[in-house]
Amino acid sequence: MKRNLLYVLVLVTLLLSACGGGTTPTVVSATQPPASGGSDATLKIGWIGKPDTLNPAYAFLTESYTIFDLIYSTLVTEAADGTYEGMLAKDWSVSDDGLTWTYHLKDGIQWHNGGPFTAGQMAWAINAIMKDPEGWAASANYTGGFKEVTAPDDKTVVIVTEYPIANMDYRTSFLYAVYPPDFETFTTSADLQNFTNFAAIGTGPFKVKTFDKDTGVLLLDSNQAYFDGAPKIGGVIFQTFDNTDAMIQALKVGDIDLVNEVPASAFETVKGFENVTASAIDGRYFNELIINSVDPNNDPAPTGNPALADPAVRLAIAHSINKQDIVEVVAQGLATPGDTIVPPTLGGGFWHSPNVKEIPFDTAEASRVLEDAGYILGSDGVRAKGDLRLEFRLQFPSDSAVYPRIADLMAGWFAQAGMKATPEAVDPDALVAATTPAGDYDLVLWGWGPDPDPDFILSVMTTDQFVDGGWSDSGYHNPEYDQLYLDQQQIVDKAERQKVVWKMQEMVFNDRPYIVMYYEKMLQAYRSDRFAGFIESPLGIESAQSLLNVTAVK
Amino acid sequence: MNENWTLFKRNLAEFWKTFRKNRLGLLGAFLVITSILVATFAPWLSPYSPSDIIRDEGGHGLTFASPAVHAPLGTDDAGHDVWSQLVHGARISLMVGFMAGFIAMFVGSLFGILAGYFGGAVDNLLMRITDILLVIPDLPLMLILVATIRQLDLKISPLTVLIAVIGLLYWTSTARLIRSQVLTIKERQFVARARAIGAGHGHIIRKHILPQIMPLIVANTVLILSTAILVESGLAFLGLGDPTKPSWGTMLNFAFDRSAVTNGAWWFYLPPGLAIVWVTLGCVLLGNVLEEMLNPRLTAHHLEGDQNMVTVPGKGVE
Repeated sequence: MKRNLLYVLVLVTLLLSACGGGTTPTVVSATQPPASGGSDATLKIGWIGKPDTLNPAYAFLTESYTIFDLIYSTLVTEAADGTYEGMLAKDWSVSDDGLTWTYHLKDGIQWHNGGPFTAGQMAWAINAIMKDPEGWAASANYTGGFKEVTAPDDKTVVIVTEYPIANMDYRTSFLYAVYPPDFETFTTSADLQNFTNFAAIGTGPFKVKTFDKDTGVLLLDSNQAYFDGAPKIGGVIFQTFDNTDAMIQALKVGDIDLVNEVPASAFETVKGFENVTASAIDGRYFNELIINSVDPNNDPAPTGNPALADPAVRLAIAHSINKQDIVEVVAQGLATPGDTIVPPTLGGGFWHSPNVKEIPFDTAEASRVLEDAGYILGSDGVRAKGDLRLEFRLQFPSDSAVYPRIADLMAGWFAQAGMKATPEAVDPDALVAATTPAGDYDLVLWGWGPDPDPDFILSVMTTDQFVDGGWSDSGYHNPEYDQLYLDQQQIVDKAERQKVVWKMQEMVFNDRPYIVMYYEKMLQAYRSDRFAGFIESPLGIESAQSLLNVTAVK
Repeated sequence: MNENWTLFKRNLAEFWKTFRKNRLGLLGAFLVITSILVATFAPWLSPYSPSDIIRDEGGHGLTFASPAVHAPLGTDDAGHDVWSQLVHGARISLMVGFMAGFIAMFVGSLFGILAGYFGGAVDNLLMRITDILLVIPDLPLMLILVATIRQLDLKISPLTVLIAVIGLLYWTSTARLIRSQVLTIKERQFVARARAIGAGHGHIIRKHILPQIMPLIVANTVLILSTAILVESGLAFLGLGDPTKPSWGTMLNFAFDRSAVTNGAWWFYLPPGLAIVWVTLGCVLLGNVLEEMLNPRLTAHHLEGDQNMVTVPGKGVE
């Protein structure tokens, strides 16, 4: 029986050393420092996760797009200030009817293998998507409404559309110039999707040297022939970590030079590291409280508390959320209290409506609103109007360490106003099924990472999206909103479109299918004793535009 | 009835006389009893509710405050009082551990008794089931089971899922242990006599077998408890606990996810780790000592004293 004792002791020791004894950074040795290629000026980036493919046809992970940004080029691209500027295109224009877009290409553009890049190849890449939207599933959205793409000469690309497309610049910024010989050979959509393209050839400022899919170590060399001026560093290495603590330690001791996602809970500590510069800038992610807004006549019938349909109850809920406290306590101060579903960073602030009036945190006011609406405080501290008890499930995905904290806080505030919220962690997949299309929830905490263009996040609130596999989880259904959504897609004039986009977010704010709690900040850090010149913007300090500006510190 | 009671009291007194001489046993009992007391009186022992947020004068939440700033154990990533979390966490950890442990003990004893007593095909079937469960690695199997069950969205609380999965997987060693004991006991003369005068299976198991193996079951339960608590902590640490009802494992999970190590917040992860050691060590010490005392064969030496213990080739007590 002594063996049993030993076994337990060994287990306890293991458990303790795994979670407790981390003060000595032994974890660092567990990660393999990649061969640095002999150049001091190779920037080593540590991140959690890795791209599963480098094939733009079928890439769905953010990591893949971080790499595409460095190795591929597009006709136009988003600049640090949220406007669009030419990348492959020297200039571009649209016809008066808004249907014909003409792009003139820059001179001296070369593929990574030295061959010349032509307008015909760009047109081929866009046509490939239009011919096989199923195979190019990740890009097909961007060519919706395209009629014809041609190259009248080697330096001109012309795109003709079926109707005016409002966010053309945003769309073309995701149409990568892929190398046609690599993609011409596929006969079926499935073959194309299975292609991993780990030796991708593009025209971007960096080129793929090697990619080890198992370890996630990705080596990029700088492209000395890059048409906008070669990078001033020798290359970039991406190294995958399993655990943020290990990654932060690696930054501290200088095994890596840049961390593109610092956890909020570690940011203060990272800021204190010697020779490390930490940057916190407004990002695109937001976290919201979803209020069940599913049409009661929906099939299947929603199970949400019917009291949630009452605007007074929604107003009371809005009064019972202390966004500032959530930001300070849960987000460690590294976020901004939010209001509308279009974060202020989109388009450099152009799309965010300034017209909404924030509902102040005031549980006394919430009680008064409920009292006026006829919800009487019961002996158990929960208000009710007839059979309608203000008692809600407050669910959140179980893979987050943030939401349980918010749920705790929120339940406390709700109680002050006479509402009862019961926090519950739910498996993320089960939660997706429970929200869409079942409508089997009351309140849910969750978040979004909107596109640079407002179109996507606005689409989340349309009635059409409340189907199995759709984006709508609130079940918000408003015919006027749906019509405005279709309208804004075709308004090429930016100022006109802005009016509609503002109006739509104001509608969502006032009807409250979502209560946006806060906008996250993007937290990044780099070794300032090794590299300088990073451009801090919502694009990230690891974006192509930033890395083109980076120099090694001698 | 009265006679039984005096007998029981005498046995208990004798038991205590032996037990109190055993230092390790006393230590184990102390560790286990203190943790049960802490769990029972958690609301009185903790100055705050586990979800209260500690604030400074300006009303701002104090996150990662060290014990020097906020006694006695500082605050965690969300400004909760770590001591209150720890004390309330004892309830969850011990509840899951005890319930899972008892389920495991019950299933294991049932399998062991049935297999050992009936033998033959029953034994074969039950022991093959046991063998299969014994060879599948526990942790991956549990991870998959818990994750799958939770994905089904059956509206069962995460803690119930944990209890069921741990309880229904950790009975295999118990089953084997009990079976081997039952095998020897059922060959003893008093069982044969009972059978000869026409006692049924149920009667023999209840009146003759069970009392004989009861000490073994008790000792083994205490040992299984330690495993169950440890496994619960492991699963909760991996994120399979219930974040709204934090156990010690869940606290460690939060500490890990929210960069307590990077922040040097040892007061956040050491206390739950040590608490787990406290309880499991207590259970193991207590279990081992109980087993030694209640199972005469672990105390009596074959070469001294009692002649009955000497094995006679061919017809011994195994």
